[in-house]
Amino acid sequence: MNFLRQSTALLRLNLAGLVARSGSVLTILIGVSCTVGVLVSMLAMGTGAHRQALGDVRDDIAIVVSRGSSDLDSSVPRDEAAAVADLPGIAVGSDGKPLIGYQSVVIMEGHRRGTGARVFFPLIGTSPTVTAMRPEIHFTEGRMFAPGLHELVVSNPCVRTFSGFELGAERDVRGVGWTVVGHFDQGNSMNCLVLADVETLMTAFGRNVFTEVSVELKSPRDFDAFRTALEANPAVKLDARRERDQVEGRFKGLKALLNFAAYFVGAIMAVGATLGAVNSLYSIVDARRRELATLRAIGFGSGAIVVATLVESMLLALPGALLGAALAWLFFHGMAVSPFGFTFRLDVTPQLAEIGIAWALVMGLIGGLLPALRAARMPVTTALRAT
Amino acid sequence: MKYLPLVWSGIWRKPGRTILIFLQVSVAFALFGVLQGLKTGVEHAVDAARADLLIVHSRLSLIMEGLPISLLGPIRSVPGVRVAIPVELFGGYYQKPEQGILSVAVPPDKDWTTAFTFTIAPRHLAAFAKSRTAALVLEATAKKYGWKIGDHIPLVTKVAQKDGSTTWTFDVVGTFTDSDFGGGGDKILMNFGYYDEARVTGRGTVNHINVSVTDPNLAVPVADAIDRISANSSHETKTESIRELAQQQVQQIGDFDFLIRAVVSAVLAALLFAIATMMVQSVRERTSELAVLKTIGFTDRSVFLLILGEALTVCILAAAVGLALATATLPIAARFVTGLSMPKITLAIGLAFAVLVALISAAAPALLAARLRVATALAER
Repeated sequence: MNFLRQSTALLRLNLAGLVARSGSVLTILIGVSCTVGVLVSMLAMGTGAHRQALGDVRDDIAIVVSRGSSDLDSSVPRDEAAAVADLPGIAVGSDGKPLIGYQSVVIMEGHRRGTGARVFFPLIGTSPTVTAMRPEIHFTEGRMFAPGLHELVVSNPCVRTFSGFELGAERDVRGVGWTVVGHFDQGNSMNCLVLADVETLMTAFGRNVFTEVSVELKSPRDFDAFRTALEANPAVKLDARRERDQVEGRFKGLKALLNFAAYFVGAIMAVGATLGAVNSLYSIVDARRRELATLRAIGFGSGAIVVATLVESMLLALPGALLGAALAWLFFHGMAVSPFGFTFRLDVTPQLAEIGIAWALVMGLIGGLLPALRAARMPVTTALRAT
Repeated sequence: MKYLPLVWSGIWRKPGRTILIFLQVSVAFALFGVLQGLKTGVEHAVDAARADLLIVHSRLSLIMEGLPISLLGPIRSVPGVRVAIPVELFGGYYQKPEQGILSVAVPPDKDWTTAFTFTIAPRHLAAFAKSRTAALVLEATAKKYGWKIGDHIPLVTKVAQKDGSTTWTFDVVGTFTDSDFGGGGDKILMNFGYYDEARVTGRGTVNHINVSVTDPNLAVPVADAIDRISANSSHETKTESIRELAQQQVQQIGDFDFLIRAVVSAVLAALLFAIATMMVQSVRERTSELAVLKTIGFTDRSVFLLILGEALTVCILAAAVGLALATATLPIAARFVTGLSMPKITLAIGLAFAVLVALISAAAPALLAARLRVATALAER
């Protein structure tokens, strides 16, 4: 009890004396807030990309791909795709037809507005059922493509980023003019999506295999029965996956890369900021030599001094963490970036702020260790003689 | 120069503090070096990419849409074309699906290597041309799987052969290295003839055609002439040099630049404050010593320069250590991201930043020291 009383008394004394050491306090504050700000902002990229990728994922949608395919190299032949329609558990749309979407992806060329830089992005051939299966698709202008016609519908982020997607614009794909007939939003997605009728697209490209087949199930519970039935069919070599698993799998590499970059840079900056904090705390402790010696002389234990200094150092790091997280939120939350060809918004969440605060406290703890020991070991006689 | 010992003793007045500041500056500049090295390394790699090596690909896509092999004849007759080599790319794996390997099928025509970024020893090249099932393996790939010349390597692919098998077997006859921008993945070179005869689907088409030109200055007109051959047909081509392709790749990761700039500014801002407070602290502690210096004849100016000199010395030395550290680590990182390097200009920029940080952060403390009034300073004692 005595120990605790001593520690709190010391802590109160220490904090009161900090006003006079504004330079050192500022160094810790700015060092920690820069580190936490960078760490949180960089982690926000991973969170933002993750939220974007999984934002519109539904549990009652299953994706069917060719067996063993990693992702884009999946190829589902027509006859096998037709067999999917006979499987159990598939939901039926308002028109009485099963909710199955056939997909075929080709790559198309676009030009960025302003710079004119060329980028390749997927042109997705899809069944007209897509509007029933993806209610988050919401047309802001124009209409859905008509089956059998050379028509494109384009997501609004795409219209904003690339030139030549205005309503009524004609795009040359395989020597044929395809008309843009609709603009849509897809939930909160920032992705560039260009959709066309899958059958028309496959005819134009002379293709006979789909990339994947997506199926809306009556309920998420029907997935196992659906997959079992699919695997039991010897005529097909297909795999069913939950949409969430499929998207997660596709996303794993990017997330690992983003988080690695964030923690790598964050760790190096934390080392720098901790060194700065050690220096500042040393000078704060040095300035207190007489005070500390006096306290030791009147019976304060060295353990209490260590604890008080450590807590003080962690408390000094805390406002820096809050400031850093706040700045990250202020400047970067919701900012759209496209570092790897696809666009997402940075997402500064409370969890990330917690990670930032945890880092700051560890930095404070490590940074305070040596100065705290010096404070506790200060020889009483020399310290009292000091000016 | 004669003040150097004085600067030096000022620096080591409090060794603990100096060492900590030194480490902090080193760490900051190591990070700066790695990040800038990433950026400038990529830029340099783009500039180093060959402008005289053209890739003829489908207007629709870089690799996913093929070209008819019949284009080869007309392309070869375009004036300025040295060689035109059809290239087929297909994925596969060795033993486990995680061990992906790209197969690049090329015909070993005369001078074919001029249209590629590969470096191949002449005897390996000769062995490759001799046998249909021969394969050249990227050096890193061969090392990774312990393949040696004479080994038979089965690769599981998605491409069926006439006998129905999707496993292709190759005889390793040599190794090669690839200087292409971002060309880091595992790959092998195989004989196009073997591939084209054995495959069931897609015969008569190729992924793209590599072209080397007789004179680098001809690259642009040759590219235009090649694209005119198939203009308005159902298989229009787009011909680009690998430098142009590299530039596009870099543009796609454009926002990375902003990120690096933001991190570097945050690091430098934190550094400025740390050094500034430490210097102010140091000047305050030395009030009487500085006053003595002035008493024995040091001018305000020389005291100002003395403090500035201390900051400069520490910052430049620490930055040099940090940048050296970054230079030492980059080759390790380059194993994962090809094209990383530490150009001298980055080192120069880093040192310039170190000078700038030192000058800005030490300006106020140095001014404090210069303005010191001897009488008041000594009276405080």
